[in-house]
Amino acid sequence: MSSLSFEYQFFPVSHPAEGAGGKTGNWRVVKPIVSERCIACNACFLWCPEGTIQVRGKRAEVNYEYCKGCGVCANVCPVKAISMVSET
Amino acid sequence: MMKIMSGNEAVALAVKFSRVGVVGIYPITPQTTIIEELAEMRARGEIDTDIVRVESEHSAMGVTLGAAVAGTRAFTATSSQGLLYMHEMIWWTAGSRAPVVMVVATRAVGAPWNIWNENTDFMSERDSGWIMSFASSPQEALDLTLQAFRISEDPRVFVPMMVGMDGFILSHTKTNVYVPSQEDVDQFIPPRRQPYVIDPETQESMGNIFQPVHYMKLRQSINDAIQGSIDVIKEVGREYEKVNPLSDYKTLNVQYKLEDADYAIVTMGAWSLDAMEAIDKLREKGVKVGLYRIRYIRPWAEQEIRRSLEDKRAILVFDRATSLGRAGPLYLEMKATLQSPMKGVIAGLGGVSMSKKDFYEVISNFIEEVKFGNPNKVEWYYPGEVKYVELGTPRSAY
Ligand code: SF4
Ligand code: SF4
Repeated sequence: MSSLSFEYQFFPVSHPAEGAGGKTGNWRVVKPIVSERCIACNACFLWCPEGTIQVRGKRAEVNYEYCKGCGVCANVCPVKAISMVSET
Repeated sequence: MMKIMSGNEAVALAVKFSRVGVVGIYPITPQTTIIEELAEMRARGEIDTDIVRVESEHSAMGVTLGAAVAGTRAFTATSSQGLLYMHEMIWWTAGSRAPVVMVVATRAVGAPWNIWNENTDFMSERDSGWIMSFASSPQEALDLTLQAFRISEDPRVFVPMMVGMDGFILSHTKTNVYVPSQEDVDQFIPPRRQPYVIDPETQESMGNIFQPVHYMKLRQSINDAIQGSIDVIKEVGREYEKVNPLSDYKTLNVQYKLEDADYAIVTMGAWSLDAMEAIDKLREKGVKVGLYRIRYIRPWAEQEIRRSLEDKRAILVFDRATSLGRAGPLYLEMKATLQSPMKGVIAGLGGVSMSKKDFYEVISNFIEEVKFGNPNKVEWYYPGEVKYVELGTPRSAY
């Protein structure tokens, strides 16, 4: 192996975190609630456009600070574990 | 063991030896027989590679990228319009820093339709962030494909790699090829290494939106990895001698009768051998001329090129590609590297053949030009049989 340094190596990998659009204001009308039917399949994590869902342990968890209430998670959940509940 | 085979067969064999996990396949002339060969190997049970038939080249590169980030050694091949159709995914693969290997059997790009050889398709991917080598024989196509997996999966690199070869001239012409043994290749190519693996368990994802500062940093990291790969390529080349004892890959590019030459000819690909024959003839007449063959377009071996060519009186660059409205891409690269008097010749587009006689003619004319004035210019060269062809449209629009 030569003495090349690895300092330049940088990869386009990211972990789910708050959406780039920032915190959600008071305009959200519905929010997702995850029930215990959740089988931790990761589908909602994969599809949430805001990256606000993480599956920790046996259940998906939503970060409501950033969730925009779009309902994508509820629609992709294969066991219908997520219901969209009115906030008003 | 020596065997008679075409460039495409040689590449398929290299893919087999490299124990590739996934191949995205889509046929396009003149690359088709690579993937046909692989499919037949799979049917005969010689490989257990997953062969994924896709609906387009865009998807072929998509499958290859997906397989690579999931942790598998992945390969695909294409040509011409197919390469251009892949263009977006080629950038995604480079931007993802995913080690992937692709072979491009070069061919002209339409319109109008032309299935014959030209390097413009390959050269048009120069900015995409891949390491790009170009073979001059079926042997080199096999060797470079094997080395490509080693190079692109090296932790100092982690950039995909393309191997080009002249369509039909190499892809379909059979010649003697030294075939290494599976054991030697296994020694040479370690199990796959890659920068990261996408796995739902770890909840990591790749290619999401990047803030401007991060984006620019990533761009530079790809640039630095490609430039830094020069050392890796030489190291891998030296080690490759254990796989193929007849090979010489100690340098990125290749010289022929250059040490004592006054004039240097620069070429890339299969026609370099015709140029070498012309050089032999000129040498017999006492003309001191030598050849410098470009084997790597990216990384561009700037130091190596300077060292080999800076003392030459004048340089003649042959391009089988165009950057329309400007000059040949190889000529532009050479111009940016050296101050010497330099002439560019664009020839052999769309399958027009260049014989050793044609090379002899162009090189002799060039040497006359150098003696009697300024050779700096770009010329489109037409060999005898096409010199007097009139351009005509089949049916006039008026
Ligand atoms: S409602 Fe939309 S933003 Fe909120 S967690 Fe579900 S997918 Fe994400
Ligand atoms: S998609 Fe449904 S079942 Fe799967 S992790 Fe999300 S909430 Fe749970």
